[in-house]
Amino acid sequence: MGYIAARGGTTAILNAEQLVEYLRLQGGSTPLELIQIRDQLRHAVGRAMNEGALYAPMLAALAVKQAEGDSIEASFLLRAYRSTLSRIMPTLPISGEAMRCMRRISASFKDIPGGQMLGPSQDYQIRLLNNLIASETAESVTAVLAAYELLVDAGMSADGAIGHFPKVADYMRQQQMIAPLPSEPDTSEPYDITRTAISFPCPRSARLQSLAQGDTGCLLTYAYSSVRGYGDAHPTLAELRFGYLPIQVAHPLTGEAITIGEISATECEIVSKAHSVAAKQSTPRFNLGYGFTFGHGEVKAISMAILDSVLTQAKAKGLSGESGPAANEEFVLLHSDGIEASGFTAHYKLPHYVTFEADLKVLDRAREHTATQSQTRLQEIATRTQEASA
Amino acid sequence: MYTISHILSHSPVATVTALAEQVLQQYPAEAVTMISGPRVAMVQLRMQESVANSVFNAGEILVTEARLELNGTFGFGMIIGNDPTFATALAVIDAALRLPGDPHADLHTTINILGDQLSTNHQRQFAAANSTKVEFDVF
Repeated sequence: MGYIAARGGTTAILNAEQLVEYLRLQGGSTPLELIQIRDQLRHAVGRAMNEGALYAPMLAALAVKQAEGDSIEASFLLRAYRSTLSRIMPTLPISGEAMRCMRRISASFKDIPGGQMLGPSQDYQIRLLNNLIASETAESVTAVLAAYELLVDAGMSADGAIGHFPKVADYMRQQQMIAPLPSEPDTSEPYDITRTAISFPCPRSARLQSLAQGDTGCLLTYAYSSVRGYGDAHPTLAELRFGYLPIQVAHPLTGEAITIGEISATECEIVSKAHSVAAKQSTPRFNLGYGFTFGHGEVKAISMAILDSVLTQAKAKGLSGESGPAANEEFVLLHSDGIEASGFTAHYKLPHYVTFEADLKVLDRAREHTATQSQTRLQEIATRTQEASA
Repeated sequence: MYTISHILSHSPVATVTALAEQVLQQYPAEAVTMISGPRVAMVQLRMQESVANSVFNAGEILVTEARLELNGTFGFGMIIGNDPTFATALAVIDAALRLPGDPHADLHTTINILGDQLSTNHQRQFAAANSTKVEFDVF
């Protein structure tokens, strides 16, 4: 077999695309509406948005539909779309403290200022399939909406509260459990990995941006490895909050803050006793890690916060990678983007005829070399045998 | 409690559009000049994290933006999502409230009502979440 230059396949590719559409619709079921996906598959939509690094719920719903539920493919579609848009300006910096919380819990303290609020969560349910959802009717939907009104009545307070709470981390700082904030705020322009390729050692802003758009499963795996044994992290959840963040930009004429709406988001802080007594600190303190995602992504936010904590400790002690793979910043950040990783893996499906032809030639030469060596050895053995018998 | 932009950006598009139309009815068509847009674009979300109080880029947000002049006064409108009508209406109202002499002070009445409605909605939404507040028993 010699070198083969190939072209063609256009018709096959077009037909393959049609076949995808056929498989999606062959059952004759009613096509999904985007608003149904946005509202009823909110975790899938949220994951597509935070891994695609573009907050756009309706477009994310379209991406989930087009990708037939494949989360990486959906985030890929969103990120590709993102590249067609221009960026007008950055938002004004916003802290999670501005969030209208729908859920707020802490595993560090039973009594936190403002109290713990479970909010919309399946954490406390038994994992049994719910057949009632399989046969929902207009009546059952009405019943759920009516039950919501009862919740509103049950939780209504006279003080007009809308869900703003202080941060547990601030309380821990007051108690000197964690390091104080820098006396001078960092006013430097944050690193932007969409404009400048990340290099190491990287600034904190690059790490957080990279983790925020990282693959949920990948961050979970790295964080789990560090907690389970390939590292020395012992995290405790300081605070996890989910809710709505108001977004503001500067008015182009006056510079005043203009609110442009709100986004749903999850924020998490982790304290870790791992290496809590950093060598350069005068007072022993816990280490703090930070996690953030678009939408309601608790596992990702917790994983991100654990990794942030682990990487900070590794960097502070100059032990990058020595406390397990998750403590190696370059390893974690360069392999946690699901779109890059899946793209590289998927490229192996593309024709590699030329490179494989080269591999074949190497294989042939190796075989010839091995055969020659064997023949030489056999000849040597035969010669020695003849000499011995003579 | 809420700023005007906060109230309007959280209000129904139909209501905000009606407010903008109420303004536009008082001007000839040529009083409005579109400077740019409405166009779909992105803003980069800057989060202030709680470990080192530093700022990082947490991702992009899809927005629609419009810039115009109403009787020579600049107006800016931006809304999260793909909604050219909403962005344009916000820009018209922004310009109207900046016009010399405050000729559209009457808009504040409606905006205040929308603010009250928004406050009620937020309180109700929080009340539902607040019903899940945990009361711990200590043994």
